[in-house]
Amino acid sequence: MSSVLATRVGALELEHPVMNASGTLDPLAARAAGLEIDRELALLVTKTVTPLAREGNEAPRVSEVEGGMLNSIGLPNPGLEAFIATTLPAVRALGRPLVVSAGGFEHADYELACRRLDGEPGIAALELNVSCPNVKSGCISIGSDAAETEAVVRLCRAATRLPLWVKLSPNVADLAAIACAAERGGADALVLTNTLRGLAIDHWTLKPLLGGVTGGLSGPALKPVALAAVQTCRAACALPIVGVGGIASGWDPSSSSPPGPARCRSGARRSASRCSPGGF
Amino acid sequence: MTLARVAACEPLGPYVQVRIERTFPAGEPGQFHMLRALAHDGFLARALSAVATADDSVTFLTQPRGPALAALAQAGAEVEVLGPFGRGFDPAAAGAAPVLVGGGFGAALLAPLSRLLPAAPLLAAFRDAEAARAAELVPAAEREIVLSPGNVLDRLAPRLAAATSVLAAGPDGLVRAVAAACAAAGVPCQLALEAPMACGYGACYGCAVELDGRLVRLCVEGPVVDGARLAVVA
Repeated sequence: MSSVLATRVGALELEHPVMNASGTLDPLAARAAGLEIDRELALLVTKTVTPLAREGNEAPRVSEVEGGMLNSIGLPNPGLEAFIATTLPAVRALGRPLVVSAGGFEHADYELACRRLDGEPGIAALELNVSCPNVKSGCISIGSDAAETEAVVRLCRAATRLPLWVKLSPNVADLAAIACAAERGGADALVLTNTLRGLAIDHWTLKPLLGGVTGGLSGPALKPVALAAVQTCRAACALPIVGVGGIASGWDPSSSSPPGPARCRSGARRSASRCSPGGF
Repeated sequence: MTLARVAACEPLGPYVQVRIERTFPAGEPGQFHMLRALAHDGFLARALSAVATADDSVTFLTQPRGPALAALAQAGAEVEVLGPFGRGFDPAAAGAAPVLVGGGFGAALLAPLSRLLPAAPLLAAFRDAEAARAAELVPAAEREIVLSPGNVLDRLAPRLAAATSVLAAGPDGLVRAVAAACAAAGVPCQLALEAPMACGYGACYGCAVELDGRLVRLCVEGPVVDGARLAVVA
């Protein structure tokens, strides 16, 4: 690995700037299919874990659209305790630096995840998902409000010594205010951004294509939105930033980033099965 | 991931047979590959099941209604191939008197299975005679082709008493109706289901279907499933 590509998020040193976006990659499933995608990533970000198990949203859950795809996955996960007992040891055994994404529906859910995961070995950072557009409560409703964002980050800060990354949504009026709120609450980094809420309609039935009606837009169409979010937050606060959205080739992170963000994530294109390093 | 070139394309009624250089494992009947033409700037690969395999090629049948599949159905096209993935048909569990039921161009994915079960009759439904050309790929010696507005279930019903199993592929409504008929008759069935897929190998949880009363990933648990796992509406 060339040292030219080495980077860091706060104190966390990375071999290179590419990681997966949370929710897009179950590395254990990929391994079971014979694909060692995790080996290509600087670190692994888990799918979001919530206090209780979730099945996820109704089908259909994905639809290709112009410029990318919509997903309405809805945070399926085994629940926090089963995650700690089963999923976490298996993912840790892959040997990659690990970021655990935590989500919830009230502030205490995030605090609980931080407290329970604090003593677990092999976790490089926790990512607070306060921005998922595909659940009916919590998550994005917390991350859409500066005061709530600051409060939940502050609670989590007190519950763990692990670095706290906060993943924000572009579906807000004043992203800079929310980024500053996360910083005041004690965040160590921002992750920008989650998906944009969108809707796809079946041409024949004139009904929504997704079972969850709306979904999150990702892929190339999200990249300019994410870059604007990065620029906005870069100007507003001093936190390190991980850029997410539309990273589909090796040129995307290096040629299109505004000054500042040196890390990037690939999600939807990975879902689209590109798995060579050059395919990010 | 493997790169392969489309060696030839041949129309078959409203469909196109896409023959791709065999640089990847062909898989078992009912398994699928994720295919994406490099020339297409669309986003997601498409899940397709092979309908024929030769020493130097694997053939898929597609109906290129959108740009992603149209780009795939071009001789010389360079294609990204992932797979084979998923669980296919289990011919060993079909018993001595299996029946194949197909519908639309999905009927063609019964072709590799028919080669393994040559005595199994094919009952297949299509919207018209042109669409029924998909059945030409299935080598079953005995066949009943039903055109709209006929109902292939009417042909299946009298055969269920003697059938040891039914193996079906086609539109969702058809395979679920087959599941209901088999459940009523106490005949086991294997059904190839469809769902929109993004990754194809279980990583994204995008292809959820309800089996055994819970949402599961079709690309991992299927696409061929035991019909008893579907909630059957009587």
